[in-house]
Amino acid sequence: MSSHHSPDSAAAHSEPTGLWHRPLKKTGWVGFLTTVDHKKIGIAYALGALFFLLVGGVEALIIRLQLMVPENELISARLYNQLFTMHGTTMIFLAVMPLSAAFFNYIMPLQIGARDVAFPRMNALGLWCFLLGGILINMSWFFDQGAPAIGWFAYAPLTDRQFSPDIGTDFWIMGLQILGIASLVGAFNFITTILNMRAPGLSMMRLPVFTWMTLITSFLIILAFPAITIALVELMFDRHFGTYFFNVDGGGKPILWQHLFWIFGHPEVYILILPAMGIISEVIPVFSRKTLFGYPLIIFSGAVIGFLGFAVWSHHMFTTGLGIVATTAFAFLTMLIAIPTGVKIFNWIGTMWGGRLRFTTPMLYAVGFIWMFMMGGFTGIMHSSPPVDAQQQDTYFVVAHFHYVLIGGSIFALLCGIHYWFPKVSGRIMDETWGKINFYTVFVGFNIAFFPMHILGMTGMPRRTHTYKEEMGWAEPNFWATIGALMLGFGILSCIIQMIYSYYKGAKSPNDPWGGRTLEWATASPPKEYNFAYTPVIHARDQVWEDRHGTPEKRMDKIAPDPEHGIHMPDQSWWPLITSFGIFFACLGIVFFRYEFTFFGSLSYTNGIGLLVVGLVVTLVGIVKWALEGPGGYHLYPDAEDMEEIRQSQSKN
Amino acid sequence: MSKRILPIWAGLMFLVMLISIPQCTFSGDGRWFNIEGQQSALDPKGPIAQNQADIFYLILWVTLFLFITVGGALALAMWRFRERKGDDPNYIPPQSHGHPLIEVGLVVASAALLVVIAIPTFGGIILKKQVPVHLEADAIEVNVTGYQWWWGFEYTEHGFYTANEIVFPAGRAVKLNLHANDVIHSFWLPKLAGKVDLIPGQVNTMWIKADEPGYFWGQCAEFCGDSHAYMLFRAIALPEDEWNEWLERQQRETIVGNGDYAPVKEDIEDRELVLKGAELYAQHCARCHSVDSRLQTMGPNLAHFGSRTSIASGWMENEPEELHRWLKEPHKVKPGNFMWYGFPDPSDPSRVQMEGLKDADLSDSEVDALVAYLYTLQ
Amino acid sequence: MSSHTDNDPLEELKKTSTGVENKKLAMWAFLASDCMFFGTLISTHLIYRKVYPDVEDVIDIFDIELTGFSTFILLMSSFLMALSVSAAHKNNLPSMRWCLGGTIFFGLIFLGCQVYEFQHFVFDKDLTLSSSIFGSTFFVLTGTHGVHVALGIFWLGSWLIYSFTDRYKRENALDVEVAGLYWHFVDVVWIIIFTVVYLVEYIEF
Repeated sequence: MSSHHSPDSAAAHSEPTGLWHRPLKKTGWVGFLTTVDHKKIGIAYALGALFFLLVGGVEALIIRLQLMVPENELISARLYNQLFTMHGTTMIFLAVMPLSAAFFNYIMPLQIGARDVAFPRMNALGLWCFLLGGILINMSWFFDQGAPAIGWFAYAPLTDRQFSPDIGTDFWIMGLQILGIASLVGAFNFITTILNMRAPGLSMMRLPVFTWMTLITSFLIILAFPAITIALVELMFDRHFGTYFFNVDGGGKPILWQHLFWIFGHPEVYILILPAMGIISEVIPVFSRKTLFGYPLIIFSGAVIGFLGFAVWSHHMFTTGLGIVATTAFAFLTMLIAIPTGVKIFNWIGTMWGGRLRFTTPMLYAVGFIWMFMMGGFTGIMHSSPPVDAQQQDTYFVVAHFHYVLIGGSIFALLCGIHYWFPKVSGRIMDETWGKINFYTVFVGFNIAFFPMHILGMTGMPRRTHTYKEEMGWAEPNFWATIGALMLGFGILSCIIQMIYSYYKGAKSPNDPWGGRTLEWATASPPKEYNFAYTPVIHARDQVWEDRHGTPEKRMDKIAPDPEHGIHMPDQSWWPLITSFGIFFACLGIVFFRYEFTFFGSLSYTNGIGLLVVGLVVTLVGIVKWALEGPGGYHLYPDAEDMEEIRQSQSKN
Repeated sequence: MSKRILPIWAGLMFLVMLISIPQCTFSGDGRWFNIEGQQSALDPKGPIAQNQADIFYLILWVTLFLFITVGGALALAMWRFRERKGDDPNYIPPQSHGHPLIEVGLVVASAALLVVIAIPTFGGIILKKQVPVHLEADAIEVNVTGYQWWWGFEYTEHGFYTANEIVFPAGRAVKLNLHANDVIHSFWLPKLAGKVDLIPGQVNTMWIKADEPGYFWGQCAEFCGDSHAYMLFRAIALPEDEWNEWLERQQRETIVGNGDYAPVKEDIEDRELVLKGAELYAQHCARCHSVDSRLQTMGPNLAHFGSRTSIASGWMENEPEELHRWLKEPHKVKPGNFMWYGFPDPSDPSRVQMEGLKDADLSDSEVDALVAYLYTLQ
Repeated sequence: MSSHTDNDPLEELKKTSTGVENKKLAMWAFLASDCMFFGTLISTHLIYRKVYPDVEDVIDIFDIELTGFSTFILLMSSFLMALSVSAAHKNNLPSMRWCLGGTIFFGLIFLGCQVYEFQHFVFDKDLTLSSSIFGSTFFVLTGTHGVHVALGIFWLGSWLIYSFTDRYKRENALDVEVAGLYWHFVDVVWIIIFTVVYLVEYIEF
């Protein structure tokens, strides 16, 4: 691979850009910290998310051990409350969302034949904000009162300073704000990339389903996150500046928090599940060797789910005393969501019907997903009915439901995606036998852990309770749930060990080990820095499948890069990292705005304003320098092997 | 070896699942499904819970039907179209893109099933919100207030308070007005009715009715802070004559009204101990706990404590040893509770507005005196 | 990005799948999101106005003449912004600089009015963040808008200064246009805030 810097970018390099010259090193720490390559960023997202998945998993296992027997005294009530708060927050914001984002980053540009995302440096900012946000939230463990104990939906007025004077709550608020920035800049980027950077001929209705779901998810993010951002700002003002947004003494309405939270929170549920559905819609056709059944309907129902997601938030609030009309309207709208969801399941079965199914590890996870998601969907229909929900709300039945949807749904699909795309990312394939053993452990452990919770919920066990009395008769299901959770944890851990092992020692994989259908399988495994040496011209929905089995007129055309200019690549940059640290320190300043602590026996307090100002200045400087530096860029030239491939394809057509 | 380990492991796993999942549908004492457990929603004893359980079962059957048909199709597809040994690895099945008639048909069928669910749902929403006309006439009204972490009940028609045990006549509707004093709680009596939240700054309403006299367990169902898990309560539905007797008793004085908290009750074995208890009560308890049933102060009203069945808001039975443990070390029973740590100042939570038992440092004999005194309050 | 001198660089940027430049599309996505930010704040304010109509004597606090004036100024700044974008597209730098400067000047007047209004409310009318729920929602809503205006002034100011350097190129007209989109949005949001926070208070029911 040869590279050289074109005249215009070379000019940019020679200009003084301030503290540092533009980083050029691609390897080592500098290469990692300044990268703008969507593939490296995607991998970093995945590693961060898997780390937090383990953290959240350990929290879950401690919770389960506490509940294993009645009136257990393994951990204190406060620690238990902190653990479930952090477990929920970690799993949603630090594990599932960033793991989805990892796939968006890595796979989506490959699927649309793009060289990178639209704004590579903004992409890096999203990554650093995600990692620093995760760190900020978890920093709370190291302060005197520890992590927040407010639940992941943090219902006011429990979060008021009067009831939660601890600094953990402030860490939680500001940590979520940083994570919100990460999600938002990511979503702006993905929307622009998908709409604007598709390969020639790749019309919207030829877009792979996973890319479609990325687009819908990104729209959900940009429209849903503002609600929680503002709710958190209002909560922060309540805690630091004595406003009355949720303070009952001053006339605040705690119910407003619930509305704002769930206007975000329900779309958030689809932010977690739609990428999963996208992955499944990629994997099932490949291993059924059939094109996706009802492609337009799958896309359309994904969009309908996203749209209806904004119209059903109050079904989380059926017990808060809404009026009859509101309750009925939200109940019926919620039931309607069952239809597009059902359509997707019908279509997946339709895809498998008449195909030739190969039960590889990804396919096992995909089929496991359909089974588990059906279970979670059916219990979802149950509490779409307010009378039933009145009994199930805030019980273990709901816990069972959303774990069936989020583990049996999202996590299964993400594991499916990991196994499916691992050869693409690493050039090595994960061992099938080991992978399947993991699958059975995870599948069975998951069911043993969460099926009993349906029974617990219907027999009256409320969620978020640190202990329970023996005479309630909840001992047996709880015991088995803990056993299952341990099995599940073991299975996930084994998966992660297998990933690490396969990365170094796995069998070498060809470019397309599965017989893939979409564009990412047309390039090398792992893809070269420039993804595609040529500009692919798309003629069909399942382009790679058509290349292999289709008629000649549907074959992909490959346009060679301009021999003079080569392939334009974005330059690396320090500024996303510096800007994200600025944001981090500004948020830390707000956390410490008035934090009282005992220092050698005397009461002291911090004044976060200094930190806040420093953070804002760093952020501002970072953004200005970022703008002045410009996107930059250098040019790469495809190597001989790539040029040969392009030449061959051109001579064929 | 490695070829055989997979089916062995998979088989083993499914065996574990087949054993364990049915196992956990039994409760410890051999009853199936714990269906009659203290807080089982599937053992309804009143019209609302009955209605809610009926709709649950209806949806259960509908979804079970769907699970069998859709799941059956999935299982059939998985079996019939799987790649078998010796199949041509390059076989390409016919590439069907979809069939609009099948798609539309399935959408219509699922919509029709939703209508089956939607109609009784609407009936259930109305039932829960409004007391039926025929029950309206002899309904009683109770104000429920949620505190961290106990329940206050005010019988508005009779003007008295009680705590943690709600008593009402069987066969009559009880209208509940739900208030919250601090954070959000949720009133849940699974055998009588699904939950409704108690939200500060607003008043929610619900109603319950027990068909027969009975003793029911309830619990707070919204996370409300440290001791959320310990915020239980009991509900007692009495026959009409016992209800009247209870009403009458609640309005009786339990202490002599001269300020030294001596009990009205005459036939007491160890009068000296009880009087010492009264003194301690006046000193350490009386600022938060009223023994006048017409007065509600910061803590649970204790006017007729001796006749209650449970203590520590339903977490423990009302027995002398339990009460002793509760008074001696309440923080070990209910973490973070204000009786021990004192009541925090709302404007500055780091300071204590009213001192708790932590600072009283009661000896065992003092606790005994308090226990003896409290049981005279009947 | 790579310099094809024979083509209009602004046309080059439009060679995307949708024909809309990347930066503009991302800005539209951001504005859609920002709509939800302000939507949430405005609805919080309106909900509490409806629940507590008499918490403050709002008409006595407001100074509608001043706010009306600053609204007019902000509207005029949008007009100048449109002129600067047009000038930027024609690569008429002097005209663009004058119009940008005018936009910034009007923005600063608006911001000055807001600062005056805030200090007047706090010190003369005893309306603070924690004096009542009205104070809470009012200051957080209008304050957030003020921060948007301040950021806009900073952004436009940066382009004004940048346009005097030789690094300013023809294709930077797109960047000025994108900043203009933001500025117009902030202006439109103020029209909504002015209507639902200030003007409706004067309707006699």
